[in-house]
Amino acid sequence: MSTERDGESRERTLGRDTFLKLGAVTVGSGLLAACGAEGAPEPAAQATTEKKEAPPIDTEPGDLEVFEWAGYEYPTYGGKKGALSPYVDTYGKPKYVFLTSDDQAIGKVRAGYRPDTVHPCVDYTGNWVEMGVVQPWDTSLISNFKDLEPALVKGGQIDGQQYFIPADWGFSSPLYRSDKVEPEGGVDSWALLFDDRYEGKISWWETPLENFVIWGYVNGIENPWDMTDEQLDEAKDFLISKKHLCRNFWSSQTDFEADFIAGNIWIGYSWGGSYMAAKKAGLEVVYSDPKEGRLGWNCGFVLIADTDNFRHAHEYVDTWVSPESALWNINNYAYGMSNTNLDLSKVDPDLVAVFHLDDPAAREEPRAHYARPLLAERRAAYAQRWDEVKAA
Amino acid sequence: MAVEAQEAAGQAAATGPKRRSHTGLATAGLLALPTLWLVVFFLVPVVLIFLYSVNIFSLYPGGQYFTLDAWKDFLDGSPFLDLFWKSIRMALIVSVISVIAAYPIAYYLALLSGDRKYTLLLLILAPFLVSYFLRLLAWKVILGDQGVINSFLYWTGLRAQDDPLSWLLYSQFAVILTLVYIYIPFVALPIFASLDSLDRRLLEASADLGASRWQSFRKVTLPLSMPGVIASFIFVFIPTIGEYFAPLLVGGVEGTMFGNAIADQFGQSLNWLNGSVLSFFLLLVVALLMAVFARFLTVRRVATG
Repeated sequence: MSTERDGESRERTLGRDTFLKLGAVTVGSGLLAACGAEGAPEPAAQATTEKKEAPPIDTEPGDLEVFEWAGYEYPTYGGKKGALSPYVDTYGKPKYVFLTSDDQAIGKVRAGYRPDTVHPCVDYTGNWVEMGVVQPWDTSLISNFKDLEPALVKGGQIDGQQYFIPADWGFSSPLYRSDKVEPEGGVDSWALLFDDRYEGKISWWETPLENFVIWGYVNGIENPWDMTDEQLDEAKDFLISKKHLCRNFWSSQTDFEADFIAGNIWIGYSWGGSYMAAKKAGLEVVYSDPKEGRLGWNCGFVLIADTDNFRHAHEYVDTWVSPESALWNINNYAYGMSNTNLDLSKVDPDLVAVFHLDDPAAREEPRAHYARPLLAERRAAYAQRWDEVKAA
Repeated sequence: MAVEAQEAAGQAAATGPKRRSHTGLATAGLLALPTLWLVVFFLVPVVLIFLYSVNIFSLYPGGQYFTLDAWKDFLDGSPFLDLFWKSIRMALIVSVISVIAAYPIAYYLALLSGDRKYTLLLLILAPFLVSYFLRLLAWKVILGDQGVINSFLYWTGLRAQDDPLSWLLYSQFAVILTLVYIYIPFVALPIFASLDSLDRRLLEASADLGASRWQSFRKVTLPLSMPGVIASFIFVFIPTIGEYFAPLLVGGVEGTMFGNAIADQFGQSLNWLNGSVLSFFLLLVVALLMAVFARFLTVRRVATG
């Protein structure tokens, strides 16, 4: 990866982190709350269930507005004559508004903001649907839909409706220094994150869900994305008893990489990009294939319920999940893409290996577990306990 | 405001009722914008936060009804209450150390003669030219396992390479250290102001009456600078209770504070109900503390002035 590409990819991953979230929380919460009270969205349950008969595309205003991660906008993404130009050349450049995290995006839409489409991650789909602000996609209008990875497509369905079109994805797995760390019995496992031998050298991800999910997989829970309150309480007690092993909980990928490279941390929950960064820094590292399976994150598009640009949104997303876009994203940002119709000879072999791009089975259950949509009530149950772990 | 009101009253008394309504209007006009600002950007949000905290408003549509459940949960031994006391404790430590460390600096500056003191004052304020965020990040470089301090310890052989002082970074210690560093110039200012305006004749009188320098300091200088000391203390204590950045950047697992919990509730947890309870509680406590301090300050001023 070139430095420039690296910089771009970081810009985007930074977008997910807590620093920028601050903007939404400190500045936003007060104001959003203020606007939200008056402009609180109506319970729009009917909008999400009734099938909209879309008018032809040339009767739409065409002023598509995309609520997007920085770095995923035309022309930064793909270049001027690149991945998104088929849409832009035909329908014009969409208006982009940038989101800094999933919860900031939810807060902004909750306060009354209405783009045409948003790029959240799959585990938040439930929240979007429950807020009553999104509608299912008409997948027959997306020509690339048939080539999208079935596991990811299924993950975007709620009540049999395709509320979420999967686009970018990546693995999450323990990253460790092989010169300092010897996994128990020589077998890679998520349990490495709870290994007493490495007190003070471990970093968990600062996230409301995944640490519980990891506990679930380590303890053989059937669906760790939907655990009972009792299981969550047990996990909470376990995490509290182990959190002293952690040097920190990382919330920014760049910070995590800096700490890892500086030797402050030897073991951490990580995304593929951090493995690439550590390797480039000359460290002896393993991006493990834990026996419980890797975790996977996946982001994509939801369609706002009352959009005037129904067909434009479909065209745009169709372009976004095209093979051209997929190749560009993999090669430039080192993320995976949902489109499976790829010419792997055009991808950096290192990336093919890290993402197992040549081995679809490695990206499916039981070897990989993608994040799944959670109902708001369940997310809150996880989050509440994670906050208690941190506060304890 | 009080002075303005007095002046207005004085003028009104001198020129009669016709004039009064005129000045009253001018005062109202001048105050309208700040008042509006406060109402729109402070009072209304505070009321909204309160309404969220009792579930009259909520993040998701439907299911809004008045309940104090979240308040009961919070006050009934929740970990957040413990976190709040921890934050109070850390804020106390930070403010006491900052005030003690800043006092000699302010004292030295105030007693300097001529323009030199203002030059030095500017130097003390120089760190403000660099963003708060960057100064915090710089501490990470100093405190890390391969940081300046640990590297020095390895170099001198005081510490083995694989046995760094790891509590330097990602700990309560790191949070307290960085906050003290950040606040010292802040704290020195009000103390400097109160010492600078000190009537030197009092010190001469105290010396004439046979007091030692230490006695003069203890009986004259220190009491007279108390308003500055208390003001400085408040300057540090109040914002530190809700501190967010320092614990986030250098606090690690043990350094988390109440402000981080609030941000998490509104952010990643999407639990606006609980977040509003925590925020409103913090606001209440801070308002209460301000009221107590303000009263104390005035009493001191009256007693010493």
